Amino acid sequence: MSLRDITHKDFTAARRSRALWAVATLLGLLTALIAFGYSGYRTGPEETVIQLFRTMGGMFGLLLPIVALVASYMAIAGERESGGVKFLLGLPNSRRDVFLGKLASRLGIVTAGLVFIFATATAMAVARNGALPVGVVAGMFAVSLLYTSVFVAIAVALSATVAERSRAIAAAVGSYFVLVLLYVIPGVNVALLARFVHQTLLGFEPNFDLYNAVLFTSPLIAYRKAMNLVVPSGLEREVLQRPAEGYTPPGYLGDEMSLLVFAVWLAVPLAIGYWRFEGADL
Amino acid sequence: MVAIRTDGLTKRFGDVVAVNDLDLTIEKGEVFGFLGPNGAGKSTTINLLLDFIRPTAGSVEVLGQDAQTNPELIRERVGVLPEGYGFDDPLTGREYLSWAIRTKRADDDADELLEMVGLADDGDRLAGDYSKGMQQRLAFAIALVDDPDLLILDEPSTGLDPNGIQQLRDVVRERADQGTTVFFSSHILSEVEAVSDRVGVMNEGELVAVDSIEGLRESAGGHATLQLDCASTPAGLGVDALDGVAATSVDERTLVVDCTDSAAKVDVVTHVAERATVEDIRSKTVSLEALFNDLTGGGRDDARPVEEVRQ
Repeated sequence: MSLRDITHKDFTAARRSRALWAVATLLGLLTALIAFGYSGYRTGPEETVIQLFRTMGGMFGLLLPIVALVASYMAIAGERESGGVKFLLGLPNSRRDVFLGKLASRLGIVTAGLVFIFATATAMAVARNGALPVGVVAGMFAVSLLYTSVFVAIAVALSATVAERSRAIAAAVGSYFVLVLLYVIPGVNVALLARFVHQTLLGFEPNFDLYNAVLFTSPLIAYRKAMNLVVPSGLEREVLQRPAEGYTPPGYLGDEMSLLVFAVWLAVPLAIGYWRFEGADL
Repeated sequence: MVAIRTDGLTKRFGDVVAVNDLDLTIEKGEVFGFLGPNGAGKSTTINLLLDFIRPTAGSVEVLGQDAQTNPELIRERVGVLPEGYGFDDPLTGREYLSWAIRTKRADDDADELLEMVGLADDGDRLAGDYSKGMQQRLAFAIALVDDPDLLILDEPSTGLDPNGIQQLRDVVRERADQGTTVFFSSHILSEVEAVSDRVGVMNEGELVAVDSIEGLRESAGGHATLQLDCASTPAGLGVDALDGVAATSVDERTLVVDCTDSAAKVDVVTHVAERATVEDIRSKTVSLEALFNDLTGGGRDDARPVEEVRQ
């Protein structure tokens, strides 16, 4: 039960962090501004709000990983670098308590931030349009929270495997590049890379299901697909690549698979991070 | 009853052997001073006791529990003052202490502990803003929470002023009198001498001596060298025949006498003075400190010369 004490201590420290408050305020203002300025084209109020959240979802896809990584990359590496871990483990805590306690507190911190962001956006959207599509907003929140949690899990796991701030920064930046940017930069993205290896280097016939499957391994693509699950039918967007008119991705690349992608990205990094932390010399 | 037992304990960091085949047994109720120069392997040993790091070979048992299997059980009964710690969370001294009290499910009064380590007026300040010595006091207070059965203190006097060191010693003595086992490391001999029942000396990862202070002193006092400058060449004086004299040699007009017992020195001087004109006497006594230097090869630096006393 000392897990709770670790979480409690970490929360208290986070509450006093000015940087964290500054980031939360900035993001709140940003979303409020977008919600204020957004106007739909020939749409009713409810549809306008839905589209607003979809548009914000596009922004969140790039922004939320940064929030999660910044909030979590020092969770354990910081304690190791500063020597705080000597107190944590000098008291009756196990390494599992430290790992899970830190994970819980960082999840709590980003959840609070996400609640704040959604609250400001919703309030502004309702004030402007007079409509509140509760199901869509709640669904968007749930999907966004899941997406953010994936990056908290990745950041805490990475944080558990390094002992210095410099390495923790490198790991966080590297994971953002590999898991997010590499899937959205035109010209260098992963689907093109897969196609290049498969078709040009290995000489196979093009297989777009395969390239799309590779693309789908990104939490970002999974997030975009998962948003399709919470918007009303007719408003879904195709996220994967369409090589030709009439191409439909196979069933195993459906929107529901995004939940599995999230689950894998939650479980695998945490398992590896915990395993490495458990065996480390601190 | 055994408080700490290590068996063939070895820790390598790459090519460096930090601790080599350490067999150490510390009985309950003992105050054990763990002595050695910087880099001798003291902190590595302590980190192994607390499962902060894992041994390359050998085993560690603390309060009857294997350090790697049941570290939490050990941590419940041990008070730790670690080295290389940091107070980097924006929490006050009292909050840190309260956290330790909560984690240990103890019923200590934070203010009482702050008072005990001389931080009564600083409990509401951020621990990160404390001076080094104040942080050390706070870390000591955290170690004292829940009146542990075993105190493990790594270089506890680091950063403390003389007053703080005295307070620390008093508290350690008091706790030891109540039956607490104390295991503490230091590179300062006088500190270990002042409170320890038994001393272990580490050097380059190896335990080179384990004994009581008296035992060490005895082995240290065993050798004393006398140099007597005489007016003429001091030959054939029969000094070799005296009790407690191990060897003699003559270097020009200087007679060098190696005594196995310090008490023999007076006899030697009296004996020689009766037979020759003694112009000067130099005595080299091997002190505990010299023994420590001897055992540790002078530590990091070149061996210091044996303490020289003019009589």
